Amino acid sequence: MAYPLLEAASGETMLLLGNEAIVRGALEGGVAVVACYPGTPSSEVPDAFFRMRASGAYYFEYSVNEKVALEVAGGAALGGLLSFATMKHVGVNVAADPLMTLCQITVPGGLALLSADDPGCHSSQNEQDNRYYARLAGMPCLEPATAQEAKDMTAYALTLSRETAHPVMLRTTTRVNHLRGPVVLGEVPAAKSRRPSQKNPRQFVPLPAHARQHHPALLERMEAIRETVESSPFNRISGQGPVGVLASGVSRAYLRDALLEDADLAAKLSVFELGFTYPLPQKALLDFVRGRDTVVVIEELEPILENDLRALIQKNGLKTVVVGKGESLPRHGEYSTQVVRDALRRALALAPVSVAHAPPDFDLAQRPPNMCAGCPHRASFLAVRQVYGDEAYYSSDIGCYTLGILPPFRAADFTLCMGSSVSAGSGFALAADKPVVAFIGDSTFFHSGITGLVNAVFNGHNLLVVILDNHTTGMTGHQPNPGVDATIHGENEARVDIMTLVRACGVTQVKKVNPVNNKAAAAAIAELAAASGVRVLIAEEPCPIHAKRVKKSAKAVAARVAGDPDACGEVLATVACPAFYLENGRFAINESQCTGCMLCAQICKEIKATSKEAGK
Amino acid sequence: MSQDTVPNMMRLRIFLTGVGGQGTLTATTLLAKAALDEGFLVSAGEIHGMAQRGGVVESAVLLGGYLSPKIGFGEAGLLLGFEPLETLRALPYLASGGMVVGNTESVPPLRVSLGQDTYPKQDVIEAETRKWAARAVFVPCRELGARAGNAQSANMVLLGAAAGAGALPFGLDALERAATAYLKPALAKVNLAALRLGAAAAQKN
Repeated sequence: MAYPLLEAASGETMLLLGNEAIVRGALEGGVAVVACYPGTPSSEVPDAFFRMRASGAYYFEYSVNEKVALEVAGGAALGGLLSFATMKHVGVNVAADPLMTLCQITVPGGLALLSADDPGCHSSQNEQDNRYYARLAGMPCLEPATAQEAKDMTAYALTLSRETAHPVMLRTTTRVNHLRGPVVLGEVPAAKSRRPSQKNPRQFVPLPAHARQHHPALLERMEAIRETVESSPFNRISGQGPVGVLASGVSRAYLRDALLEDADLAAKLSVFELGFTYPLPQKALLDFVRGRDTVVVIEELEPILENDLRALIQKNGLKTVVVGKGESLPRHGEYSTQVVRDALRRALALAPVSVAHAPPDFDLAQRPPNMCAGCPHRASFLAVRQVYGDEAYYSSDIGCYTLGILPPFRAADFTLCMGSSVSAGSGFALAADKPVVAFIGDSTFFHSGITGLVNAVFNGHNLLVVILDNHTTGMTGHQPNPGVDATIHGENEARVDIMTLVRACGVTQVKKVNPVNNKAAAAAIAELAAASGVRVLIAEEPCPIHAKRVKKSAKAVAARVAGDPDACGEVLATVACPAFYLENGRFAINESQCTGCMLCAQICKEIKATSKEAGK
Repeated sequence: MSQDTVPNMMRLRIFLTGVGGQGTLTATTLLAKAALDEGFLVSAGEIHGMAQRGGVVESAVLLGGYLSPKIGFGEAGLLLGFEPLETLRALPYLASGGMVVGNTESVPPLRVSLGQDTYPKQDVIEAETRKWAARAVFVPCRELGARAGNAQSANMVLLGAAAGAGALPFGLDALERAATAYLKPALAKVNLAALRLGAAAAQKN
């Protein structure tokens, strides 16, 4: 079977990653168009669609950013095709503009949006709660807690959107995207249904006169959908106890496990599990709350359900006490089985259960992520430091190269978001007493760096932009971008050349080097450093992991210490490659880790390429 | 969420920890698939994103009806440590009465390699582990993996050791079936040999 996720039969059980379950759900829902920008924790969704693209079961694209992805998917849905856009939570910020309008003007083909949130900031700059976006835009929101639900809710979100012509949000959190669980599969429809494209400018062009009518119509659609939510099978009540618990998202899983192991709790509680979380099923919730003295609300991050419930109780003149955010249920970070259990025991005035365990040892040697051996970014940072040292402000961006913040490079002084390095660097330079150097990767440049560069030229800003072009989107798992020369499916025949693009943005001072050629890179940077205005250095060298996987490039000969290991102190300190180590206090290079980039050999004359004859 | 139909079977939380590149996530998935095929309800969890860059890789397999994909301090009945320092770091997750199956071969963090930090001695790691674990088994996984035909099969050695030590609610045969069914056919021979060498080493331990 070439594509098990697509071809496995209805009724079969597969152990699926949450993100794979989402893909299967979209296929079962009959998705026709998929547009995504990768970002952890959502990345395996586009990756799976990309791998199966040749099946012809749907149209797929890695869009250049989330706004574009939602506009492509939204446009296809306007045109009559069932569409799906996926992104991480901060990506929805980028896509927020079209999102607001799409919810107003309706999408005849149907459109679902995956927002993959990241409580705990496992791989993100914040832990914003995108359930607010569902409320801001006016869109239904489903929140799975298991792999089965991830599959079922995705299929349902698409179906619901198609039925109502209204966009629907599937909101996940990292734990749900990256859990694995058994999933009983449903049917993947053989043919995609399609609604004929129509001309209806009154509906689809949000002129103010139209928009004024769109808003009340949106509110009406949401009220109609609320009726569906009232009886949704994704919302379930269980238990016989007097105290109520309202739980949503992955907290439902923690709650279930807490009750599984704590009979004292289970006997005292009744649980309302909310899987279809917006619009709120007000009647069902009122029925649940009425007659109870206390309801505990368990939701990660913001007190959204809690505040909605408080309003509902106040409006209906009830006296039920709502226990929500506070010391035992914080507004930040992830919850866990223990957090939920402790909070419930506290709400019920039961004694806390202490769990014996070894104390965490914070003195153990840390193992932070680092740039890989052979990473061309290391070479770029080294060359920039050789020229500027600490006499520059480093405007960084989102990608592997954010790790340039680590010593010995310390090449990140501020970062805002995807694409910000150029524009925030421009602004910083207005204030700074030292030059500003901005670092941006190729994928991030295509994502939203181009606009900042055009702006910098137009407004005469003064900074050096280093575009770290490694021909892939490294951080999220090597997805293609418009600048790549090859993908797992072969050559990129529609390559957009970065040099041409930079020149077209109006930049006149632009150079391209291979950063692994240290002398040439340092010389190019020194020359650009001596000038002023907008300057761009394109540091081009493929990511070695990507090159190995996609281009099947052979491993080069490794570096070895040919001379005096005790004379390698400087290269150890300045290059700090993960292939370096000390063997009984003496410098050595781990041949199996070394990719043979030979950056170190340019810095230290004691290091040479391992010849086959020498073959250690 | 069909927990109402959970059969009355053993519940076990397994915490797995290692370093990017050691095959921890492959082992996690294989363990989960083996358990599912043995009729266990399974929930597993992992965190992606940084694994490739030499960071810590932690994952979890929860058997017998748990829905949560993660494990808190003091909850793991079994800790599988693919790297000694990470085994030590993850000890707080071990439940009292829990068991540890660990690799003896270290992957030093960069700062240790560069002489800027220290790595605890293996006997210290084992002694600290035995302080908290009801039983602890340590095996040289890469060495046995190499003997099986490829040092990269060290992750299978550790799984085999867990089965051999009786730490799993199913036997080595279940892992062998899963490895045959779900891993690359070209590597089946090596992986099966690695599983068996791990199991044998644990039984001698």
